[in-house]
Amino acid sequence: MEHINSIYVLVYNLVRGPLVWISSIIFIVGTIYQIWQMLLLTKINTRPIIKVFDKQYNETHEKNKEESCFSSLKRTICGIHPIMIVVTTLFHILLIIIPLTLLAHNILLENAVGFSLFSFSEKISDILTVLFLVSSFFFFIRRIFLKRVRIISTFYDYFIWFLATAPFLTGFLAYHHIFNYRIIITLHIFLGELMLVAIPFTKFSHMIFFFVFRFIVVNEYSFRKHQVIRTW
Amino acid sequence: MTEMIQEILKEYNAKMKLSLKVCAHCSLCAESCFMFIKNNKNPIYMPSYKFINSIGKIYKKKGNVDLKMLEDMKPIIWKNCVLCTRCYCPLGIDIPSMISLARTICRMSGVYPQYNEIY
Repeated sequence: MEHINSIYVLVYNLVRGPLVWISSIIFIVGTIYQIWQMLLLTKINTRPIIKVFDKQYNETHEKNKEESCFSSLKRTICGIHPIMIVVTTLFHILLIIIPLTLLAHNILLENAVGFSLFSFSEKISDILTVLFLVSSFFFFIRRIFLKRVRIISTFYDYFIWFLATAPFLTGFLAYHHIFNYRIIITLHIFLGELMLVAIPFTKFSHMIFFFVFRFIVVNEYSFRKHQVIRTW
Repeated sequence: MTEMIQEILKEYNAKMKLSLKVCAHCSLCAESCFMFIKNNKNPIYMPSYKFINSIGKIYKKKGNVDLKMLEDMKPIIWKNCVLCTRCYCPLGIDIPSMISLARTICRMSGVYPQYNEIY
């Protein structure tokens, strides 16, 4: 029993010590490398950006702009899949916000480097985690039961889903002391680190890709259409 | 044939690898394809399905594909897609260029639709 205990202490100290720093460094360096690679794939836009100077067109365009926000959204993907868009937006925002604003994480950060970020109360973080888990479950159900998603899903997609959800699930279980706390918290830290390392190198890199290709690279659907500076 | 395909894959490797890697398999591109809408929302007409099952397969096999595989791909990239470039990826993947690349590979391997061909 004592033998198992000493192994546990060793693993626990490893995941809460050096592995945190190693995974954070891999995440930061990997993200910078991926952004660099994505920028290398594109070049500075030399084509002129066309602006229409037709009076009638501009007037209609202005009129369209005045449309209420909701009616113009109806013509986009938000109008076609409103539930999916709400859930996916919630999921991705919470994925970033929860770990950064969790009180326990910020206390650890304060102890380690001497500064911390804004924290929500534990009660709010708990509710947000439940919301996250529900939206994540929605994705899982969608992948299994919707034929159009199932047809393009592979084992890898389910693995990535697991990797994104598991740190939150284990965090929730650890906070409520469900199952063996010591095992769950170690698993939580380890899975969180695994996810951090995976972000720049796996399917998670769509997080980086989204910002680079929707904001910096010019295409028909890019945001900030008239200010984009790069092209494929 | 394999060497020729590998040569093309090498040329477009980075963009193709990145596009296949970041595709979240979310299926949100489906409704942007008129072929999907007009074919009773059959998932085989989804832009993501078409690009995963054409260039995705060629990339996975690292160019080691036989003629039969390319022949199977033919209806996906010629009949099911008209390359109208209207498909919309929420992440910003350039799907038409990927399907166009699959067409290039098939055409260079002698696999292309004939005018009198019935699928």
